Amino acid sequence: MANLWHRLTHYEGNGWWNLPRSASAEANPPHEGPIGGAWLSNIFRTLTHGGVSHAGPGFYWLVGLMLAIITLLEVWLFAVEGLGAWYVPLLLGLSALKFVGVVAFFMHLRFDNRFFTYVFVASMLIGIGIFSALLLLMEYAHQVP
Amino acid sequence: MWAFLGSDVMFFGAFIATYLVYRGRSLNGPYPSEILNIPVTSVSTFVLLMSSLAMVLGLHYVKEGQKNKGTLWILAVVLLGMVFIGFQMVEFSEFVNEGLTPRTNIFGTTFFILTGIHGAHVTIGVLWMAFLAYGSHKGTLRPDNALDLEIAGLYWHFVDIVWIVIFTVIYLISATDGPPPGAELLHG
Repeated sequence: MANLWHRLTHYEGNGWWNLPRSASAEANPPHEGPIGGAWLSNIFRTLTHGGVSHAGPGFYWLVGLMLAIITLLEVWLFAVEGLGAWYVPLLLGLSALKFVGVVAFFMHLRFDNRFFTYVFVASMLIGIGIFSALLLLMEYAHQVP
Repeated sequence: MWAFLGSDVMFFGAFIATYLVYRGRSLNGPYPSEILNIPVTSVSTFVLLMSSLAMVLGLHYVKEGQKNKGTLWILAVVLLGMVFIGFQMVEFSEFVNEGLTPRTNIFGTTFFILTGIHGAHVTIGVLWMAFLAYGSHKGTLRPDNALDLEIAGLYWHFVDIVWIVIFTVIYLISATDGPPPGAELLHG
């Protein structure tokens, strides 16, 4: 028990639950492919220097280009008529893609200790849960005569 | 910084949820469908996205010890941030000219508070980046203390992702919102 407490609260070990002592002690997850497929993983590993430290300028330009293309796609969807019920889910999906792109690569979560991912994702989930409950509550309140 | 960003998620989440709760409930205009300018806001969204790219490039070059390139990209962040604020000021003044203020209707209140607070975050970020650009130029921001810039960069990227959500929820999804059913009865 004492050992577990020590592991959870001290820097030694640099495991998932421990804050890194310094930037150079960050875990840098070795698995590189965000999507399956060996050839894709190889390309990704090359572009991100194998996940050691942060990626290079070429990779950041590529991410920036993808973000710009997704934004253009969103504006195009806005101009397209007849999408009906698909419109909002499509926009939310594209928005989520941009969100993940910025957080994972520009904010370096992909290359940092997973503890930071847990902090951020946990906050997001708690926030989304609370605000979804609030929205449902307000929707119900407006329906009650 | 990650803990602060976690709390800021809640902060912005509250305002976004408030906007969604009151969405489509304004009883008098101007309504989003009458006033939102999607093409212009798309350009400002693009500007903010590119500022994130400039930020990450600036950090890369500072870490590599390439002082001039690092300073240049941090200055690009400052410039793009100022352009974004400029777009927002023009948008706000146009809305006021067309009769939408925070006191006009519930859309005006929730819209101005949410986008205004985001604009304040961008302004703080621009000042922070200007300070760091000066430090990089003077040589006080070096590879060994580049963590200062990385932390500022996290803040900047966070401001960007908040705008990604605002642009989708307020501008693209709400752009067709008109008066709620029955509103015409109130105005004869």
